[in-house]
Amino acid sequence: MAYQSLVYGFVFLPLCLLVYQIAPQKWRRRVLLAFSYLFFWLLSGKLIVYLLGTTVFVHCIGIWLEWLRSEQKTALASAERCEKKRIKGIYQKKSRRVLAFGVLLLIGILAYLKYYNFFAGNLNGIFGSALPFTLEEKNILMPVGISFYTLQAIGYLADVYWGKIRAEEKLENTALFLAFFPQIMEGPICRYSDTAGTLYSGKSLEIDNLTEGYIRIFWGLFKKKVIADRLAIGVDAIFGNYTSYSGAMTVFAAAAYTVQLYMEFSGCMDIIIGSGQLFGVKLPENFRQPFAAQSAAEFWRRWHITLGTWFKTYIFYPVSMSGPVKKWNQYGRKHFGKYITMLGTSAMALFPVWLCNGLWHGARWSYIFYGMYYFTLILLGIAAEPLRDRVLELLHIGEKSAGLKVVRIAKTWLIIFTGELFFRADGLRAGIYMFRSIFRNFDLNSLFDGRLLELGMSRADLIAIAAGCVVVAIVGAVKERGVHVREALGRKPVFIRWSIYYALLLAVIVIAAYGDGYQAVDMIYAGF
Amino acid sequence: MEKLMEILMEIDDSIDYEKEKALIDDRLLDSFGVITLVSELEDAFDIDIEASEMTPDNFNSAESIYNMVKRLQEN
Repeated sequence: MAYQSLVYGFVFLPLCLLVYQIAPQKWRRRVLLAFSYLFFWLLSGKLIVYLLGTTVFVHCIGIWLEWLRSEQKTALASAERCEKKRIKGIYQKKSRRVLAFGVLLLIGILAYLKYYNFFAGNLNGIFGSALPFTLEEKNILMPVGISFYTLQAIGYLADVYWGKIRAEEKLENTALFLAFFPQIMEGPICRYSDTAGTLYSGKSLEIDNLTEGYIRIFWGLFKKKVIADRLAIGVDAIFGNYTSYSGAMTVFAAAAYTVQLYMEFSGCMDIIIGSGQLFGVKLPENFRQPFAAQSAAEFWRRWHITLGTWFKTYIFYPVSMSGPVKKWNQYGRKHFGKYITMLGTSAMALFPVWLCNGLWHGARWSYIFYGMYYFTLILLGIAAEPLRDRVLELLHIGEKSAGLKVVRIAKTWLIIFTGELFFRADGLRAGIYMFRSIFRNFDLNSLFDGRLLELGMSRADLIAIAAGCVVVAIVGAVKERGVHVREALGRKPVFIRWSIYYALLLAVIVIAAYGDGYQAVDMIYAGF
Repeated sequence: MEKLMEILMEIDDSIDYEKEKALIDDRLLDSFGVITLVSELEDAFDIDIEASEMTPDNFNSAESIYNMVKRLQEN
């Protein structure tokens, strides 16, 4: 049962809303938990044991960390001033070990399920018969959403360890935080401090939340069904048979896939955040007009925001503040100057972030390449900053010049499209082949001689895609100016407001990619 | 506060630290500026700043940085 399915929108969600509203307030979080487990069970069957096991384990580790903190507090209260530092050190070491145990086990489970076959295949491939044993590939089934709830669980434990939050005392609350059905499949990756408040409140349904939530859901369906699912047909055709297409068609495929991925993932986020809003639960935003970014680094602050924030909080900063990096910072500034030191620090802190980003998406060399691609580009961007500033100064171009902005956005689009080409390609070899075809056999004419219509998308499909993209781009441009679209619509006269809502509803019903000739397209990020 | 101002000016002297209240939110100080600042603060004030302190609230203004330093010195 995917979020864009009719069963989810017209059976599961209304039933959950009904039971939630009928239940007494103190039972409502249990209703949400029961429906979350039902949702998970429908998707993953008996693999739900992984989620249940993780929940109990994370809950216990959280309680353990909290207990250590309260023990430390008691010990400090009765200690002499000179003793306090030693006591703190002892408890810090204990807490760090408990956290490491929790995090390593969570990562171990994820790594085994997700990367065992990749590791075994590569090890056998590299060493062949030189090894006294052969690691056999296994048929491993992975529960849906494990990459998302594992990161959320690690974040929760780190926040308890840091003392940013108190550990949750009720197991059912920890369970709901990890399993809340709207976000279990694709995120957003929530921080406990951001969602726990509204998630546990059990407040009654409100007409404003229901209206806004359902509009957001339909907006997501519009992006997914009108644009993404149509584009998927053409994208699959080119990537599935890439040797038969020209460089121009490859460029089209890379751009089309990027748009498909955005419409699909951000559309699902709209459905997810809208679903949360129906119950008054505020989930964090995952996208902020990514195509308006002026650099690769900025793109990642606007695209899959909660993943980027997670990496920044739990990998980038801890690595940046670790002993070796701090020592390098001090040594480097004394011996090599600020510039080289900053580059060294950046490389040390960014490398694990981008390696993990690549690996997180899956066990494929093309994903690792994708991570390293952004690592290299972002590092080059940092390295080139002084030179870029100097050139702009010489040419008397202001930082805020409109022309410069256009050039920067265009450059960022090129970077994104190239990255997504390798991301989507069927393996790294296919990605390299497709990339090289752009320079070997471009053939611009292939885009205009009717070959686009041989990909399975009709002329009407292309028009629907283009019109849909224009609508999304206009909404994005309005949001980029700081306007809250739904609030702005709320101030319009009822007739105009509801005409727009009905138009959206009609678009989803009438021009969405349903029926003969269209396949139900799986959500891409649910596969990670 | 004077010592802190000297450190901040050395990192970027184009910012008006007395007025600015959104150093992080407005991206006047980027991640690497903050890391350099942390390193300088640890040396100058003999404190340990952990990754958990890396929140915008702690670094958005000279005053908030000063308050964090004082809090860590007292602990």
